[in-house]
Amino acid sequence: MNEMTVLDRPAEEATPQGVREPVLSVAKGSKIYGGVHAIEDVDFDLYPGEVHALVGENGAGKSTLCKAIAGAIQLTSGTYCVDGKPVDFYSPRDALAAGICMVYQETSLVPTMTAAQNIELGNEKLLTRFRTLNIQAQQLLQSLNFHVDPAIPVALLGTAKRQMVEIARAIYNKARIIIFDEPTASLTPEEIVHFFNLVRDLRARGVAVIYISHALEESLKISDRITVLRDGKVVVDAAKTSDMTREKLVRYMVGRDITQTHYATNRDGKTRHKATEKVLTVENVTMGAVVKNMSFSVYAGEVVGVAGLIGSGRTEIAKIIYGALKRNLINGGMIYLRGRPIRYRVPKQAINDGICYITEDRKLNGYFETMRIDDNVYVSKLATKAGWSFLLSPFKRGKLANYWVERLKIAALQRKARIVELSGGNQQKVVIAKSLAQDPSIVIFDEPTRGVDVGTIPEIHAQIRRLADEGKAVVVISSYLPEILAVSDRILVARLGRIVAEFDGATATEDKIMYAAIH
Amino acid sequence: MASVTTATPAKAAPWWRNLSRLSQEQVVAAIVIVLLIVFAVTLPGFATTRNILGLIRSISILGILGLGMGLIVISRSIDLSEIALMACPWGVALIANQHGLPPFWTAVLALAIAVAVGCVNGVMVAFVEAPALFVTIATTLVVYGAAYWVAPVYVVYAPQDAAALLFAGRGTLFGVPMPIIVFAAAALVMHGFLSRISIGRFIYAQGDNPDAARLSGVALRPLTLLEHVLVAVFAWLAGLVWIGQTGNMQTNIVIIGTQIFDVILVVVLGGISLVGGRGGVFSVVVGCALIGTLLNAFTIMDVNTEVQNIIRGVVLLVAIIVDNWLHPRDEETARQGE
Repeated sequence: MNEMTVLDRPAEEATPQGVREPVLSVAKGSKIYGGVHAIEDVDFDLYPGEVHALVGENGAGKSTLCKAIAGAIQLTSGTYCVDGKPVDFYSPRDALAAGICMVYQETSLVPTMTAAQNIELGNEKLLTRFRTLNIQAQQLLQSLNFHVDPAIPVALLGTAKRQMVEIARAIYNKARIIIFDEPTASLTPEEIVHFFNLVRDLRARGVAVIYISHALEESLKISDRITVLRDGKVVVDAAKTSDMTREKLVRYMVGRDITQTHYATNRDGKTRHKATEKVLTVENVTMGAVVKNMSFSVYAGEVVGVAGLIGSGRTEIAKIIYGALKRNLINGGMIYLRGRPIRYRVPKQAINDGICYITEDRKLNGYFETMRIDDNVYVSKLATKAGWSFLLSPFKRGKLANYWVERLKIAALQRKARIVELSGGNQQKVVIAKSLAQDPSIVIFDEPTRGVDVGTIPEIHAQIRRLADEGKAVVVISSYLPEILAVSDRILVARLGRIVAEFDGATATEDKIMYAAIH
Repeated sequence: MASVTTATPAKAAPWWRNLSRLSQEQVVAAIVIVLLIVFAVTLPGFATTRNILGLIRSISILGILGLGMGLIVISRSIDLSEIALMACPWGVALIANQHGLPPFWTAVLALAIAVAVGCVNGVMVAFVEAPALFVTIATTLVVYGAAYWVAPVYVVYAPQDAAALLFAGRGTLFGVPMPIIVFAAAALVMHGFLSRISIGRFIYAQGDNPDAARLSGVALRPLTLLEHVLVAVFAWLAGLVWIGQTGNMQTNIVIIGTQIFDVILVVVLGGISLVGGRGGVFSVVVGCALIGTLLNAFTIMDVNTEVQNIIRGVVLLVAIIVDNWLHPRDEETARQGE
């Protein structure tokens, strides 16, 4: 226990009206999944007109708590009060009726329906007149200062506008409590500023906001109070945001001091890699509107960071090189591997030539969820030309798994654990091991630390540096600038399908990169 | 190490929680054992060697077909043309036999036709990228129509003197009926294929997550082709046993029978999930054992066919509901995917 866990109620001080009732409170909330506590004895409260940030690593229980509040799941034990009265929610509909609304990233809108229809979704009358509906929606959107055409199908709207529709729907449902889950993950910096203004506006209207975000800076900037969860337990209970700093938050989140190793900003200790041989050249590759005349080169023994916003063509160029996209989508351009022109049909060919791509979404296309750690690594080894053997060999599998578990420090209770039983960071390490076991000479990482616990990030960065030390060419695609700065020898910035700027890793700054990425 | 956020087991789990450790195939196997004991005690004439051998013999064809279907379902696909692949090539081959083709070449002809159709299925699914469900329905109709064109009879009789052709269905080896031996051998070969050979691992990988398998460098297209060909081979083998048992091949079972549903039933019952990547040969075996035990007991009890159909359907539903109850996937996987 430490001084920050003292139960204080700063909201009472923050609001001059004196003592107020919390609009929502959870006491001793627990949720058990398959015998394991996802959250345990969590106390949480929320006052009207405040922004309460919820911070924690992946798997700390933030989402579980919020899903319970929003009625998507039921707590195993604990009491749950709205306006001081105990309630039980059996579905999100019950929560909505009580004025609690969760704004998901973009999943809860129906893409083929118009914005107006989405706003009214779930509250339709028997007969609806589209004209009336559109006018009502227009009025609502304008009162919130959102510039969204209510008659446009949501599928045609950008992420920021979809979020506006979601928020408008929450207001339409007379939400008094709004939960934002990672709201800024795919917004541009300008849109984030706009979004923050909106949250402040909601707060001024007396709406209570729960704010979940990976970006600690955002939580510090926007919230009034912060609760930190670790392993399903509250470690900092509703501390005033003004008492908090980023370093403190990180320390509470991981339970130890890692600020020294996390994102080494002093690059004196970093061995600078000397680029030797040009291994991969991309020349004027074009694919529709996503990748336009993209050109760059990669040298053996260096780490190239590729920065840029989502949609700037970073992932797509990696997939083109790797052969993961259909060839007939590619409109032109050449790719050379050590001077030899290449154009792969399937990833297998790229792997046989020593290129590997480590996916940005490990759950979607990274690992095999039914298999154990060792099988996951062994299968990808078997899929290479050098690693192929007709018969399976448990001995080789064990040796391979031991080597990679050791090298990447994969923390598993046992080698035979299924991959879904691991934490996000360890899952990511397994996915990395799967690719590195194929013995590549060019490694492309796409968002190597997305959804990875803070404590594991420096370990993965060290592994990336180690690959370059071994003479491999490494490409790191990342949206997170501190990451790009921490690992790269050279930094490329992509915007609108082109590489628009190149910086030396030693002299680049976040400002310079961000400026190039959006202007 | 602080980065270990792996699950720490709760201290005292209620006893029924341990049930969820059991896989569906273990649950079904337990049910089979219980049923066997109950029937052995209550039904006269159930627990005789003769009856048990007859029981296994009666599910052999279903089991062989189930092995093929299981393979393709593990790879997250399906092949509804399996019955057509069993009946029609044999129908055509037996007509050729009636016109003087020797028994050995009859079998080769049937195999060749089955494999050819399997290849068409595979090419359509793997290279043309049409959904397997529709491709195999279409090939079922085409194959059935084409076979009837060549052999315009519903029942094609096998030559009663060709002992070699009929041996797999009606012979015995050391007192054990051949269908049982064929089923056991096929199951063993299949088990070896799935668990000892790297292609078997790839099939599981494909069923688990095709995108991940592709990105890992597994050549999915040849693999899909191979799977459809293997289904055809198992269908051919089932046809061989069928001919021995009945002395003929009935081509119209393709459209009048519910055999294809029975095959899917035993596969899904044993825990080979339609989601892919789960289950194995043992699943097919226990699925068959459950259905065989029930059918055998009903025959002894003289339950009529309609009631048998209802019970088969209910058994499938119960198996799926119990599995869902024991393994609440959505909540748990949603949490672990955070």
